[in-house]
Amino acid sequence: MSALHFDTLVWHWPIAIYLFLAGASAGAMFFAVLLKHFVLKHNAYQSGFVQAACIVAPVAVMAGLGILVMDLTKPFDFWKILVFYNPKSVMSMGVLILLIYQVFMFVWIGLLFRQPIDAWCETRFPWMLKFTAWLTRFDATITGLLVIFSVALGAYTGFLLSALPGYPMLKNPVLPLLFLASGLSSGAASALLGGVLLNANPNSKEVHFIHRVEIPLILVEIVLIFTFFMGLVLSGGQSKVATFNAIGYGFWGWIFWLGIVGLGLSGPLAMNLFMTATSKRKWSYVAGTACLSLVGVILLRNFILYTGQMTIA
Amino acid sequence: MDKSKRTFLKAACAVLAGASGATLLATEKVATEKAARQVAVQPSVKYALIHDETKCIGCRACEAACREINHVPEGVARLTIERTGPYGEYPNQFYHFSRKSCQHCEDAPCVNVCPTGAAFSDPATGIVSVNSDKCVGCQYCIAACPYKIRFINPVTHAADKCDFCRETNLVADKQPACVAACPTKALVFGNLKDPDSEIVQLLKANPTQRAKAELGTRPKLFRIVAKSGEVAI
Repeated sequence: MSALHFDTLVWHWPIAIYLFLAGASAGAMFFAVLLKHFVLKHNAYQSGFVQAACIVAPVAVMAGLGILVMDLTKPFDFWKILVFYNPKSVMSMGVLILLIYQVFMFVWIGLLFRQPIDAWCETRFPWMLKFTAWLTRFDATITGLLVIFSVALGAYTGFLLSALPGYPMLKNPVLPLLFLASGLSSGAASALLGGVLLNANPNSKEVHFIHRVEIPLILVEIVLIFTFFMGLVLSGGQSKVATFNAIGYGFWGWIFWLGIVGLGLSGPLAMNLFMTATSKRKWSYVAGTACLSLVGVILLRNFILYTGQMTIA
Repeated sequence: MDKSKRTFLKAACAVLAGASGATLLATEKVATEKAARQVAVQPSVKYALIHDETKCIGCRACEAACREINHVPEGVARLTIERTGPYGEYPNQFYHFSRKSCQHCEDAPCVNVCPTGAAFSDPATGIVSVNSDKCVGCQYCIAACPYKIRFINPVTHAADKCDFCRETNLVADKQPACVAACPTKALVFGNLKDPDSEIVQLLKANPTQRAKAELGTRPKLFRIVAKSGEVAI
C-alpha cells in the first residue's frame, strides 16, 4: 500500500487544503475579533495584524471554495448544491454555514474600517454614511454572530469527515474539536505572519496577546490528539488497526511524529514557553513560529484525511 | 393574601391547565394524523436480494448481464463476484464466491451525506438509487459507503451503483438482470413485505448473514454462506 495512492482513497489532498483554508479563515476572523475587543478597541483597523487577518480570511475562504468546486467531477453543476438541499447532510449544513459566515465576515470587516470608508465616501457617496451608521447600531450582534459562525465553520471542517461511517478513524467525535482547535491556531499564525509581512511591529501588544492565547491552545490540541487516538485504541477492532496504520511506522508515521507533533506543536509551544509573553519579539521569531504552526496544521489535515481513509470499517 | 394576588394565581393556574390540555390535545391530534399518514404511505413493496453462496459457481454471468442491460462502461462495475481460494487439499479443493454490490441499506450513509439529495432511497420500493442529474460529483457518498461499492461513472461523471435494475428491467416488469442470468438460481430477488414471496420463505428457512450489520446500516443484501475455507478469528 503506497502512502498517497491506495484503493480505499476517495478524497485527495485538495480536500485537505480546502479544510485547511476554511479553518484558517475562521481562525483569522476569530482572532481579529479578539484583538479588536480585548487589545485595540477603536483604532483596531490601523493594526497590521488585524489588517492581515482581514485579508487572509476572505482570500482563504474563497480560495478554499474554489478548490472545492474544481474538485467536483461536475464543476459546472456546483450551483445545484446551493439550490437542492438535504438537511440531513453535513455538507449541506456546511455550505450554509460558509455562506452566512461570509456575509457576516464582510459586514464586520466593513464596520471595522468604518472610519476610512466613511472618509472616502463623504464627498462621493454621502448616502453611504447613513448606511454605515445604521449598520453600526448592530455592531455587537454582528460581532457575536461572526464569532458563532467562525467557530461553527472551524468545527464543520471536522464534522465533514466525522460523518463518514465507512472509515473508523474518521467517524470520531473528537475530530471536530481537534480541527476547530487547529483551525483557530492556524488563523492566529496566519494573522501573525501576514502582520509582520505587512511591516507591523513584531514586538507589539497584539503579538504578545496572541502568543499568550497560543500556549493554552497548543496544549488543548495536544490533549485532543491524545484523546483522539486513545479513544480509537480503546474502541478496539478496526479503530485500533487504523491507529497503528496511521501513527506506526511508515511515511505517515514520520509525518505525524516529526511533522505534526515535533515541528507543528512542540516547536511553537517551546518557543512560546522559552520566550515568555513579556519578552521582546523579533521579526524572524514571530515569522518562524507562525510558519511552524501553519506547516503543522497543513500536515495534520493531510495526515488525518489520508490515514483516515487507509482503514475501512 | 390580598385579592389581586389570589386572582392572579387563579388565572395563572387556569391558563396553565388550559394550555397544557390544549398542547396534549394538539400533540395527540398530530400523532394520530401522523399514524394515519404512515398507514396510508406505508409502501407495500420493499425489495431485497439473497445471494446463495452455496449455489454460486462464480461463472460471472451476472456481471456480464448487469453491464449489458445497464450500459455500465468498461473499467467500472456495479456488480463483481469476488473469488477467494482455492481452499483445501486436492482433490477436495473449492473456491468461495461472494457478491460485491450495493446492499440497499435501510439507513443508508450515502443518502444521509449527499448534499443535493441525488442519492436517495425510493420510498415506494426501498431501493437506494442515484439521480445523476442532481449529482455534482463531490464523492461524499463514495467516501461514506462502508461497502465501497460506489463509483463515478466515466460517461455521466455522476456517482453510480447497482439499483436492482430499477430503471431498466424493473420498469419492464422483469427480474433484475443478474437474477435472470444466474444459471444456478443462486440469486433470489423479491418483496420483503409479501409473506408468500420466495425471498421471505428462503429467509425464514435459512440462516443468513449481512455484511457489516454492526454498523447499523441495515443492509438488504442477504447471504446464505457456503462453508468457509479458513477458520479465522
